[in-house]
Amino acid sequence: MKPSEKTIGSLGYLLAAVCFLGIGIVQIIPARASADLLLYDLGGESLYKQYDITPDSYLSAGSGDRNLNGFYDLRQYPGSPPRIPHPAEDSFSGKTQNCLSCHARGGYSPEYQKFIPVTPHPDKELCYQCHVPLKEVKRRFQENNWESINPPRLGRSALGGSPPMIPHSLQLRENCIACHTGPGAVVEIRIGHAARGNCRQCHVPMVQTEPVRVFSRTR
Amino acid sequence: MNLDRRSFLKCAAACSAMAAAGSIFPGISFADWKKQEGASGMITWKKAPCRFCGTGCGVLVGVSGDRAVAVKGDPNCSVNKGLCCVKGYHSVQALYGADRITTAKVKRDGKMVEVPIKEALDIVAAKIKETIDKHGKNSVAIYGSGQWTIPDGYVASKLFKGCLGTNNVEANARLCMSSAVTGFMTSFGIDEPMGCYEDIDHANVFITWGNNMAEMHPVLFSRILANRKRRKDVEIIDFATRSTRSSQASDKSILFKPQTDLAVANAICHEIIRNNWVNWDFVNKHVSFHKGKTNIGYGLEDKFQFADQEEPLTFDQYKAFLDDYTPEKVEKISGVPARDIKYMAALYGDPIKKVTSFWCMGMNQHTRGTWINNLVYNIHLLVGKISTPGSGPFSLTGQPSACGTVREVGTLTHALPHGGVANAEDRAMAEKIWDLPAGSIDPKPTYHTVEMFRALDRGDIRFIWIQVTNPMVTLPKLKRYREGALKEDRFVVVSDVYPTPTTDVADVILPAAMWIEKEGLFGNSERRTQHWEQIVPPPGEAMSDTWQIIEVARRLGFEKQFPWSETEYIGKIWEEYRRFHEGPKHNMAPYTVLKERSGVQWPFVNGKETRWRFNPVYDPACDKGRDFHFYGQKDNRAWIWARPYEPAAESPDKEYNFWLNTGRVIEHWHTGSMTMRVPVLYNAVPSSYVEIHPDDAADLGVVNGEMVKIISRRGSVTMPASILGRGVPPRGQVFVPFFDERYLINEVTLDAFCPISKQPDYKKCAVKLEKA
Amino acid sequence: MPIFAYLAIPVEGGKDTLAAELTALPHCEVIPADNKDILILVTDAPDEKAERNLQNKLQKISSLQSLSMTFGCSDQPEKERGDHES
Repeated sequence: MKPSEKTIGSLGYLLAAVCFLGIGIVQIIPARASADLLLYDLGGESLYKQYDITPDSYLSAGSGDRNLNGFYDLRQYPGSPPRIPHPAEDSFSGKTQNCLSCHARGGYSPEYQKFIPVTPHPDKELCYQCHVPLKEVKRRFQENNWESINPPRLGRSALGGSPPMIPHSLQLRENCIACHTGPGAVVEIRIGHAARGNCRQCHVPMVQTEPVRVFSRTR
Repeated sequence: MNLDRRSFLKCAAACSAMAAAGSIFPGISFADWKKQEGASGMITWKKAPCRFCGTGCGVLVGVSGDRAVAVKGDPNCSVNKGLCCVKGYHSVQALYGADRITTAKVKRDGKMVEVPIKEALDIVAAKIKETIDKHGKNSVAIYGSGQWTIPDGYVASKLFKGCLGTNNVEANARLCMSSAVTGFMTSFGIDEPMGCYEDIDHANVFITWGNNMAEMHPVLFSRILANRKRRKDVEIIDFATRSTRSSQASDKSILFKPQTDLAVANAICHEIIRNNWVNWDFVNKHVSFHKGKTNIGYGLEDKFQFADQEEPLTFDQYKAFLDDYTPEKVEKISGVPARDIKYMAALYGDPIKKVTSFWCMGMNQHTRGTWINNLVYNIHLLVGKISTPGSGPFSLTGQPSACGTVREVGTLTHALPHGGVANAEDRAMAEKIWDLPAGSIDPKPTYHTVEMFRALDRGDIRFIWIQVTNPMVTLPKLKRYREGALKEDRFVVVSDVYPTPTTDVADVILPAAMWIEKEGLFGNSERRTQHWEQIVPPPGEAMSDTWQIIEVARRLGFEKQFPWSETEYIGKIWEEYRRFHEGPKHNMAPYTVLKERSGVQWPFVNGKETRWRFNPVYDPACDKGRDFHFYGQKDNRAWIWARPYEPAAESPDKEYNFWLNTGRVIEHWHTGSMTMRVPVLYNAVPSSYVEIHPDDAADLGVVNGEMVKIISRRGSVTMPASILGRGVPPRGQVFVPFFDERYLINEVTLDAFCPISKQPDYKKCAVKLEKA
Repeated sequence: MPIFAYLAIPVEGGKDTLAAELTALPHCEVIPADNKDILILVTDAPDEKAERNLQNKLQKISSLQSLSMTFGCSDQPEKERGDHES
């Protein structure tokens, strides 16, 4: 794509916005007696901290062009680690900061002309452990008959207007703010009430691929 | 925006198809669609207070036809400003559980059989009469609830205390709020908080005392978080016995050993005095010093009696009393580092910072519950941080009308709608308003809740009517009280909406109308009275608890006291009840005002609500010309009490080597009889569990989800382990939510209580664990 | 990104089967009528290719008697609109 004069102008505009938005979106978790104990409640602490330090301007910023179809294209099944859609070093070089310098903070990448998705788990630094580059090969070794399941439907509330349940597991996705707010968020799942910080006050998990349970008395 | 545009297009697409279908098949209906998209269209919205915790959120209930179909937060309600928690948003689903009780049942030949409700009410009235004739007036009792509406509690008190002349009236708020009441009464001489939720928008420091607000009062906690984010000069200190969501959200989490909050509170006062952070102007003008009895016992034995004896102290005597509570000494008792105690003292002592303390069950369910309430007031009084916007001690409540129905109407054995039974003037006032002959009300209080169920076990009480509560899950040391209720010659009437372990012990079950199926009023934590009208019809023969009592009262011959018609009884009852509270200290808003607004705070004087009591700028009951006026006590001062640290009734030892703590989770409310039947809430937390520290779990050899047997001297329960789950107790402590009737943790707990408030301590007893 | 709405009429007695089969397809939302044997189908395919795939699958459903379109729209991606606005 050949950038026209107009695009460059708006790019500069965006960059200015990004510098502003990007400030402060870094995880600061105070040290505790035992590192283990940080993990309780699915690492819920990160959510409170993230809410406190993320500027309002970021939380409520409009979305870029990520959408759900592109989101699921990078995943083998809902919940699998996404593949890396852009050039990246092939081998693990030990410089994990290469990923986190962008994906811990979000903001705008002039290189890819996109808003950067924020990782929900910036404390995990060995990115290549789970995320591999998406590379188109000419011919596969053997074809595979893999079939995925449908991703969870959006906006499934128990009653009209009630807060939708969380349709996915919270493991490694405990920080709602990362994926559901900011300009790097997927447009369909970006929330319109980012000023609220205590997400699980209203939204509780109900994973749709798990059987729905019904209470019945024992006697 | 892309999302809105696509949603709109899909909506337009579906609508066009419906229009097409409608023209081909007249009368075709797509109700399922309406359910999905219910927030618009043929829905009317009616205001009500939320039916769950004591926060008192305003909700708007969406009604389609005669069914409630949706909920949204009421933007006009200053409590929650349009936000709810997950329970509130799904609250209307609790009306439609499949096993809803819709008909009356009575026990015949050991089996429950359905009867018309009129017949069941005949049986209840006849049984009350028969029991009184045979065993005396104090052999019948009513046990209600902080979920009773104000009219429910009022007619119960009028019938039992007034007409029948027995003080056997108690409510489950004894198990949740009575230490708060005795705390207020001993420190201020008048009940209920001086501040209001607006304090949250002004305070710089929030200290939560044994209070997991993030889960238990989430809407208020969100307001704190939003303030911290917006104002930046806001700090949250979580002072607790286990790590919770509130600890995660706080700026500093400080853990103390169970029961040692008493010592830490005194150490904070010690530090405030040592550093001369005392607000002398305030203390000299508005505070007096006192002490009471010590070594006051735990109420474990039947017919336990205790009366405190107040003695005045000088400031120097009080200061000398605190010598035992240096931060260094208290570190040894409490496990709280001296520097953390000094840090908290410095926050309270900083003259610039506005400090609000919050607490709920951690301080109230405590064998020294009254004392710890006094001690936190002491801190605020020493530094004069009270009754001003942003500064104050704030006692939160756990039930929607613990304040409105139990504390204000006085549905406890010693109380009346105004004052207490022991006071001749208060009795005369009630007899006059109730149109009863002088001397109808007995001047002697009878049984507080634990003792009431002990009396049922002993046979002193033969008839008990239980409304809107589930004691066969919630009473401590449950086995004794369940067996007591099942004894021969005990007659148990239960009014409820779902079958529970309490209806399992009933001789008569009355189907109750729930929440918005009847008109009612609640009173929340911040002195706010909230009215709602009947919004949907009750199912089957279900009847409001108020009307059940009125029907029985009339059958007992008290038509004169209960003359109202079924269409207007709530308004009439409210106006009659309001007469008890006339005057600037407690005036309640008229019925017409309450109907219009999303809650009104009392004292409501000359059309104005009172947000901060004891402060003449806001409170019309204060004498003019003072900066503060603590008019509750005879000396017009607030009282600081010297209250020592005393150990818990039962502490871990070699054999029973763990503390057991019990409580709640955000998704479920109390015994789960409602929230377990709400699919979203049940799926989020489908079973209770025992939280164990990872190292203790490793010692025990259990992993997450494996069954653990919890054994105390009273009983045992076997349930799944939760390791690094919702919360983490420190080593040597376990925590169990009590919502699940399939794992009755109260089989294990101890029925020790605060001798002053008679509120049991559900937070501390000794247990041992076995891998099951 | 085409969006279409259809009235779907099942073969006799096949309403529940049809609802289940349509729900199982990607990009499909189904609203069954309460009191008539008729369903509304709203499709929301991400692109033309997916739309063609979906059409092929719809034709193979045996419980479907007829499908009549009531609405059609090919929504433009945001990017193109964005250019005009900047």
